[in-house]
Amino acid sequence: MRLAATLADVQPAAARCLRDTRCSYGSWPENRTLCPLYQHDPSFTFSGGGYMFLVLALQDNKIQFDQSTAEFAFSCAGCLACDANCHLIATHPPHAGITDIVRLLRSEAVKRGFIPAGAARKLYEEVRKAGDYGKATPLDLPSKISSVKAGTVIFAECAHAASRKDIAAATVSLLAKIGSPVAQFAEKGCCGAALYDAGFWDELEPLVRANWAAMKPLKGREFVFTSPHCQEFIVRRYPEILPDYTPVKNRHISQLLADAFKNGKLKSKASAQVKVSYHDPCYLGRGLGIYDAPRDILASLKGVKLVEMERNREDSFCCGAGVMGDYIPGLSADTARERIREFEATGADLLITACAYCRDAFRKVMPAADRKRVKDLTELVDERT
Amino acid sequence: MTTKTAEAGVETVCRELREKIGAEKVRDDEITLVTYGRIRHGFDIMWPFRKPSMVVFPGTREDVVETLKLANKFKVPVTSVGTAAIMLGTTEGGIVIDQRRRDKVLEINTDSGYAVIEPGVSFDKLTAALRGTGYKCSVGTMPGPGTVLGQALSRGSQSFTTRYLNLVLDLEVVLPSGLVYSTGSSHFEGVGSHLRYGPYPDLAGLYTCAYGAMGVITKAAIRIHPVNEASRVNLAGFDNYADSIDYIKELINHNIPEHTFIWDWHMYLTWPLAPEDMEKVMPGVLESDFTKPPEGIPYNIVSTMLSGYPEQVELYEKICARVAEKYHGRVISDEEAEERFPATLDGFRQQYGDYHYRESVHWSKGRFAGWYVFAEPKDMKEIEKYAAGEFAKFGKAINPVNYYSHPFDYGRSILLRIAGFPDPTDIELRKQIAAKFEEMYDTAMKRYRAVPIRPVGSEKAGTYMQVLASIKKVLDPNNILNRDCGLFDEGEL
Repeated sequence: MRLAATLADVQPAAARCLRDTRCSYGSWPENRTLCPLYQHDPSFTFSGGGYMFLVLALQDNKIQFDQSTAEFAFSCAGCLACDANCHLIATHPPHAGITDIVRLLRSEAVKRGFIPAGAARKLYEEVRKAGDYGKATPLDLPSKISSVKAGTVIFAECAHAASRKDIAAATVSLLAKIGSPVAQFAEKGCCGAALYDAGFWDELEPLVRANWAAMKPLKGREFVFTSPHCQEFIVRRYPEILPDYTPVKNRHISQLLADAFKNGKLKSKASAQVKVSYHDPCYLGRGLGIYDAPRDILASLKGVKLVEMERNREDSFCCGAGVMGDYIPGLSADTARERIREFEATGADLLITACAYCRDAFRKVMPAADRKRVKDLTELVDERT
Repeated sequence: MTTKTAEAGVETVCRELREKIGAEKVRDDEITLVTYGRIRHGFDIMWPFRKPSMVVFPGTREDVVETLKLANKFKVPVTSVGTAAIMLGTTEGGIVIDQRRRDKVLEINTDSGYAVIEPGVSFDKLTAALRGTGYKCSVGTMPGPGTVLGQALSRGSQSFTTRYLNLVLDLEVVLPSGLVYSTGSSHFEGVGSHLRYGPYPDLAGLYTCAYGAMGVITKAAIRIHPVNEASRVNLAGFDNYADSIDYIKELINHNIPEHTFIWDWHMYLTWPLAPEDMEKVMPGVLESDFTKPPEGIPYNIVSTMLSGYPEQVELYEKICARVAEKYHGRVISDEEAEERFPATLDGFRQQYGDYHYRESVHWSKGRFAGWYVFAEPKDMKEIEKYAAGEFAKFGKAINPVNYYSHPFDYGRSILLRIAGFPDPTDIELRKQIAAKFEEMYDTAMKRYRAVPIRPVGSEKAGTYMQVLASIKKVLDPNNILNRDCGLFDEGEL
């Protein structure tokens, strides 16, 4: 979506919604509910279509933009399920998905000064104060693999997820085990993904430009991402925002690890039998289409048995981390709990994911004694190699 | 419009309803109200805005009973909807009953051949539930999330109409007084829904095409059909519509098709496409002269669903080839279809072979301007020529890509639908089209003995509407049900 887009630009596309709530559920014949809002409270309002009709109502002055509208806009989890299942909205100019139209609503809310308290407000205040969201946080790469000229560049930045440090440590340890030379990209703070999601579009553009300026000299090399959000944003959104963008080679860490197992650079050690269930992060799965690499890795680990949750792969259910509004109180935690229930139904010992936000969201709602049952894929692999 | 009593009663109804059925089932926040409002939309930019006063999400039949009793007491209008209610007939200040949470398939009876469903069951849900049962249900050209009941009660286009006029067997109805009754055999205690009517008049008909104005349906039994040992979709091409009609009529008279459908070339080339292909193909089709298909593209394709034992289907295919030739057409082999219209073939296979929906991306074009009638087969040949001629006068502004025809009730009556997608924002053009359609309905009815399939104004229906209005007054004395949904002119009785 162009950052200059307005509600008037998306009105014709929003007006094509059939009110059929196709956006809220997954593939036939399972037809499982995927939209966290709809899962919580099935109604047309709480679906992608509800947002489309809100756009129409706002444009027709049938409802005023206020704090409540903002809370509603920020209550979408941004899980991309609607975009994966709606066949209509994105086929009309400006060819934006439902999630992008929700982000535009957020951006309009921000312009009017309606910012929900909590994560969104904190993010906004930080970026206004510091001119960035987060600081460059380089990985502590061992000298035996660290090489500024390496063809593989680890994209080191990430936002404020509590899990980030653990994942970074596991990643560094795994890269050391693989032993190939690696450079890192840690020049700037936020790549822009978090600001884009939250509708802080005025603040976003300078960050994106600065980040791209730093990335450009390295663009002949392959960027490896640990955060699917950063990867999806750079690969999919930079082209929409930056006129001078040209594609960068990119992989997710799970793809690098899967290849390392295949070519023998990483070997599983004999470990205790464990049943795991894998949660497809929305941006790694629906956003980037990466479903197999994490499963290939789990299949390479000795003693690990994968049991799938009912909703998986393209039909995965969100962890709820992206909910920043309070239109439905407790929606973020309820969404995580719903997913945990599904995980517990598998009888698995561990819940594995590949996104720091997901790990945090699940741990937050689990009893303290169970929190260690949620792990990032890199942590599990590091333990068992 | 709501009455003064209604305005005064809305708050009371909302409060009492929350007490009786649960606060979580009654919503009146502004965002819910506008998103359930009748709003200017791609489907009709001319619609007046109407905002309900509350939206009720019943979990049980009793919730519906309580809602209707209270609404009736305070004379608050009620509109009952399922999913995919594009043309939502919301009444200003009224109550919307959204039954989407009542979406259970309650029974699949493979002995008799019916499914008992709650009102919120969609085609996606029912087709999924029928997998592995050896039974299938009717499918149509609407999106899979559409509610089965909405389709069945509006008598829309769908498969199996070749053999039946209507797919409904039994309905459970709640009246504004709170009275609950069933129209079919399940009205007798302990009896299933196998029979549409017994010793009494057929009351299910009262709810067909009534748009919810006669009662709120809380359960329904619809026909389902056995999956045979062998089945396939036979395709035959014809260069004119009249030959297609003769072809299907002769096949039906010999009990050959399970279902048959005549597709105009614009429709069969575009309807089954994936959205990304639609963007590539549709612009070219919209620029073409629909009366003159390109070289080698038949004007119509007739899809004929053949089923039975393998030997039977093999024989039917030979018969189809022979009859097609008799009427100047030819059977199109799978190989040819695969090469020339692969998406079309995929669509037919998915919808009639796997019995689930090909998402109809036609809808992505927005609000269609559609003209549709029933007529006897001989008359329909003339009507099609007449209607195509009138559409051609509009030129490309309303190129009729949504254009098809199919028989009902063993071909006693044929439905023709011609619809295009004019610019949804061009109000002047829409007004011209509406006036032209009015004129076309008049001509088709007077000159060609056509019957419109949607209400066209009380004055054209004469004494029929008088009787219907009398019945409505008894069933719904306060006129609270679906006032603005089209059966009676703007809700006036």
